[in-house]
Amino acid sequence: MASATEQRETDQVREIGHEEYDPVGTAILIGIYFLILVLLWLFMYFVEFLGNGPTVVGALLTVVGLA
Amino acid sequence: MEVTRMSSTASRTYLDQFPAEAKVIKAAFWSSFMALAIGGLLGLVQALHRTDVLRFIDSADYYTVLTAHGILLAITFTIFFLVGIFTWAVTTSLDRGVVDIRFTWAWYIMMVVGTILVGVSILGGVVDAIPMYADVLFTFYAPLQAHPAFYVGLVLFVVGSWLAGADWFRTWWAWRKENPDERIPLPTFMALTTTLFWYLCTLGVALSILVFLLPWSLGIVDSVNPLLTRTLFWYFGHAVVYFWLMPAYMMWYIMLPKLSGGKLFSDPLARVVFVLFLLLSTPVGIHHQYLDPGIAEGYKFIAMTNTMFLLLPSLLTAFTVVASMEHGARQRGGTGYLGWLKALPWRDPVFTGMALAGLMFAAAGFSGMINAGMNINYLVHNSWWVVGHFHLTVGTAVALTFMAAAYWFIPQVTGKELWSRQLALGQVLVWFVGMTFMSNAMHRAGLFGMPRRTAEPQYQGFNFDPAVGTVGEINAQVALGAVLLTVALAMFLLNMVLTSFNDDSDSLPANTYAGTLSGPEDSPAVLDNLKLWTAIAVVLVIVGYTLPLASIVESGGLFGPDIGGFQLAIETDPALVLESVREVMP
Repeated sequence: MASATEQRETDQVREIGHEEYDPVGTAILIGIYFLILVLLWLFMYFVEFLGNGPTVVGALLTVVGLA
Repeated sequence: MEVTRMSSTASRTYLDQFPAEAKVIKAAFWSSFMALAIGGLLGLVQALHRTDVLRFIDSADYYTVLTAHGILLAITFTIFFLVGIFTWAVTTSLDRGVVDIRFTWAWYIMMVVGTILVGVSILGGVVDAIPMYADVLFTFYAPLQAHPAFYVGLVLFVVGSWLAGADWFRTWWAWRKENPDERIPLPTFMALTTTLFWYLCTLGVALSILVFLLPWSLGIVDSVNPLLTRTLFWYFGHAVVYFWLMPAYMMWYIMLPKLSGGKLFSDPLARVVFVLFLLLSTPVGIHHQYLDPGIAEGYKFIAMTNTMFLLLPSLLTAFTVVASMEHGARQRGGTGYLGWLKALPWRDPVFTGMALAGLMFAAAGFSGMINAGMNINYLVHNSWWVVGHFHLTVGTAVALTFMAAAYWFIPQVTGKELWSRQLALGQVLVWFVGMTFMSNAMHRAGLFGMPRRTAEPQYQGFNFDPAVGTVGEINAQVALGAVLLTVALAMFLLNMVLTSFNDDSDSLPANTYAGTLSGPEDSPAVLDNLKLWTAIAVVLVIVGYTLPLASIVESGGLFGPDIGGFQLAIETDPALVLESVREVMP
């Protein structure tokens, strides 16, 4: 490891090591992000398909005889 | 796990440690800022013109302005900043200077000469005294044709960047001789893997320019195959977005944890991410060509699959970087499930700028997924949505990270204290707000089919039909956003200029980057085997591109079915364009 890695932050009030650190807040934020992505995907379904125009999926279903 | 060795240089700035390299980096940063200033201002001209708020240029000249905006920001601003950052990263993390500083100056000057040639040839589109033209947009494929000087300038710029990469590799090889048993320090690892995929992807654009576009522009060959030059462009054109993004990622991995008061959560994960970008950045370019006839759906499907895999390193990054920030916040006393967010140093413009850039990138992740999906891409292809998307990625994730980083780097390479931290903090906030207005409105406009690359998207006998809001309201948001972005740009440049007039300071922070909670010793040594990853990347490119390229050449000929070029702004009669638009619009 290079010598220029940061040693200590001045505002630090406690030292948390690798074993004792549990990034639960990160898990929550990432979970919220995934939820937003899922909701946006659902929203895109309405934008994409409710116009009832031709779509690639529709064409594919036609080709394989499903629609 | 944690390294506690204190360096004798730990309290010194980069300028103290590497004065010769600091000069080159400073020059590269200023080249980057100049491109940002000109390119950014032209962005305002376009936004006001398109939205019909203020039109003071001829609409035919819009494409000259658009070309300059695209090239200066997407190529010049980003890559000059990148070469500065990577030179800093390699020398700082290896704790040694470059092998030969003359070589370093040589590639920098080569890039400058290339930029001037490109810039002057684009300027020829609006200045009659310059007998050149290059109204070919950032996507400079056929059939749009530029003056040979434009292509020569691009070649010089790219070869300059190749030599910069060679410089970093030479420096690493020299270090490796002295440290044969050590792992590659993370910042150097990031610079080297990024350089490797840059070599791989720029081969496509070099081929496109040297074999096809330049001889065609010089009149040596009569025609080219437009689909072939498009495909070769996009072979480079998607990887280049990761070339811009990797220095921003580097900042998020090695600076944000430090600024947050913590350590990088995992060095091995960071290495995996950069290896994945080396492998996957290039064999995905065809996802920009979903609507191109002449490329079979199957090849497009392979490109889509590769693209979806590319989400993985970005999602890994989201986790690792946020976990590192949380570590810092908790070390600073933060508690609770989300209460730790309040303990982050939000008054630090470097931190806040980078964190907001990361937040914007998360939003861009969604619009990127839409672009990447073959069927939904058809909905937004060539619409203003795409412009909204890349203003979140290169226009914010990259640009805002770079501007925030500059608030730390410029003092490091000049030895002068930042002129105003308050102005800097205000600047990153204004940029964020401005981009929120502009990009959101662009995305929405794309959803109802408003086209991109259009000087006057107002048509007779046809009205766009937004599901929510009005076209006027969307245009107002774009114009407002563009004005705010220009204000933020002025704030940034003012701070940079006044900083360089500051006196030398003794109270600058030391030139350091983040330590790690889990270091390289926790990862398998094979991650550092650059030859292996490069070989796999080459194989993936061969798998992804051989058949499509063969098919394009077979059906259209290597030099095309007699396709002549044309100069967009000079030969296009606006009346004819309007006529053809009226024909296709219901």
